Amino acid sequence: MASSKGPASPAVRVAEMEKMSVEQLKAVKEQTDLEVNLLQDSLNNIRTATTRLDLASVALHDLSLRPQGKKMLVPLTASLYVPGTLDDSEKVLVDIGTGYFVEKTTVEGKDYCERKIHLLKSNYDQLLELASKKKTVADEAGAVLQAKVKQLAPQT
Amino acid sequence: MASPAAVRELQRDLENKANDLSKIQKDIAKNHQVRKKYTIQLGENELVLKELELLKEEANVYKLIGPVLVKQDLAEANANVRKRIEYISAELKRLDAAVQDLEEKQNSKREAVLKVQQRMQALQAGKAKA
Repeated sequence: MASSKGPASPAVRVAEMEKMSVEQLKAVKEQTDLEVNLLQDSLNNIRTATTRLDLASVALHDLSLRPQGKKMLVPLTASLYVPGTLDDSEKVLVDIGTGYFVEKTTVEGKDYCERKIHLLKSNYDQLLELASKKKTVADEAGAVLQAKVKQLAPQT
Repeated sequence: MASPAAVRELQRDLENKANDLSKIQKDIAKNHQVRKKYTIQLGENELVLKELELLKEEANVYKLIGPVLVKQDLAEANANVRKRIEYISAELKRLDAAVQDLEEKQNSKREAVLKVQQRMQALQAGKAKA
């Protein structure tokens, strides 16, 4: 999945693109555009996940403030809530993936959320860098393509 | 000089080889898909393992089996996740070898197709001159 355009400096890339025909250049630009779109989708997914984790962390904090025995409404489905009382707000079950749940305290739960958010943020930054590099290549390809097309036009 | 039968035969050969090539390419694409799925699973399992390792001995671990949440022993959960990671890594290695083999086959098929195409062109050129 790694692109081979990594180590090439922009001047080298443009020089290589000049050597390519219009068809090849179009193919390169389409390919890079596709990759940029994929990366943007991944970035959006990460942003959504980070927001959800943030909400979870806030909810945890709120939960820890509630006294035991407090009356609450428990969701059974998206439109059905049942009255209940808060039992133990110290212990929470955390979904760590692949069907495993771990019992943690609210503090540990918040810590878990923070850790995950950090991990996602670093992934997001890495992806962002990659996406902007790809976008640069795509833009260069587009510019060289336009120049070539203009070159060919007056000849015909 | 070139008989139409020879041209037809070359064409049939070309079709066969082109079909083989597209089948190989489809296999390569499928391989990529399966490999993507396994890679994602491997990543998830490694995260779970890291979380499990951070736990103290007495921490309670539960596994979701269908609609049932079952209490599991921490050691058992660790062992299960490790086994799964091993299995997925082995599968990925197998897929790697398979895709390399497929790519070699794809390249040699491409060359074969090219050769047939060249022979056809030569034949057509010969016919045109005659």
